[in-house]
Amino acid sequence: MADGRTPHGAGEDDVGPVGPAPAVRPFLVTAGRVAGGAGEASSGRTMPVETQLVATTGGLAALHRLSFEQHDIVAACRIPQSIAEIAARLRLHLNVVRVLAEDLRTAGQLSVHVPDSGVTHDASVLRRVIDGLRAIPDSRRVLRDTD
Amino acid sequence: MTPTEPLARASAAQQAAVRPPLPVKLVIAGGFGVGKTTAVGSISEIEPLTTEAAITEVAAGVDDLSHTPTKTTTTVAMDFGCITIDPTLKLYLFGTPGQERFGFMWDDIVEGAIGGLVIVDTRRLDDCYAAVDYFEHKQIPFAVAVNAFDGRTAHTLDEVRWALDVSEGVPLLVFDARERGSVRDALLVVLEQALARSGG
Repeated sequence: MADGRTPHGAGEDDVGPVGPAPAVRPFLVTAGRVAGGAGEASSGRTMPVETQLVATTGGLAALHRLSFEQHDIVAACRIPQSIAEIAARLRLHLNVVRVLAEDLRTAGQLSVHVPDSGVTHDASVLRRVIDGLRAIPDSRRVLRDTD
Repeated sequence: MTPTEPLARASAAQQAAVRPPLPVKLVIAGGFGVGKTTAVGSISEIEPLTTEAAITEVAAGVDDLSHTPTKTTTTVAMDFGCITIDPTLKLYLFGTPGQERFGFMWDDIVEGAIGGLVIVDTRRLDDCYAAVDYFEHKQIPFAVAVNAFDGRTAHTLDEVRWALDVSEGVPLLVFDARERGSVRDALLVVLEQALARSGG
């Protein structure tokens, strides 16, 4: 189990054979809880994959007391990151990040910014995205002066 | 659903040290090898990241194994990247497998998306039917982009439109997933669709 490869890995929380992400105790760190459970329900919302996570000053102050995944998440979220980015960079599954983020939010160590769908679909926001994209040049290469 | 309201009442220690950008999301769907990751990588400011969503499939009704009454767990790779529009606004691009058998994970990825781009390889049109159906059913603004491998496609756009049975209102275009400007323009088509839908 320690290596994450059980011969009959059909348990609900077993991720089975995976590629690059280590399958070490994926949901053990969440004490078997999965996203969408009581924790998330109590906050009355789900967390889309682009939800922004940011360490709180309290979380950074408590960093030395946090262990493993919690520590890594808070430390990484000195810079705002999405749930998907944290999952990819720390090689955790999306739902593990969701559960831990909810825990850390409850503890006041992480602030969780769920995007408001009404805001993201607002015409003014869409126009800003359009203008931003239009400003992207054709080529990655920096244009050279002469040739 | 106001994201930060609880924080307004939180103590100073519980406040975010930094204010995050507003994240907006586009989903890029398509079959394996159709150019999703290439497209993301062409325009993303970071190397595309990969995360694996662990999915519990209830076999019944999902595939040919429907007589098997057990759950199986599958991991599906999802590649994504991002573009910082400005310090307060960040565009995320999520590539997700477009085949029908992965449909069970789409809600998780797509929820809240402002639009979708379905990438099509004209040699394997079948791979994108499910994604087209999904976006139509969910009423998510989307466009269909034919990836022109080596600058050519096996079918004309009219043939593709007929085969996919997408309405005239859905933009159909040819693009090159390797070209940054081409990917940018395809995304702009999706955003213009979203803008029209928003009434803006």
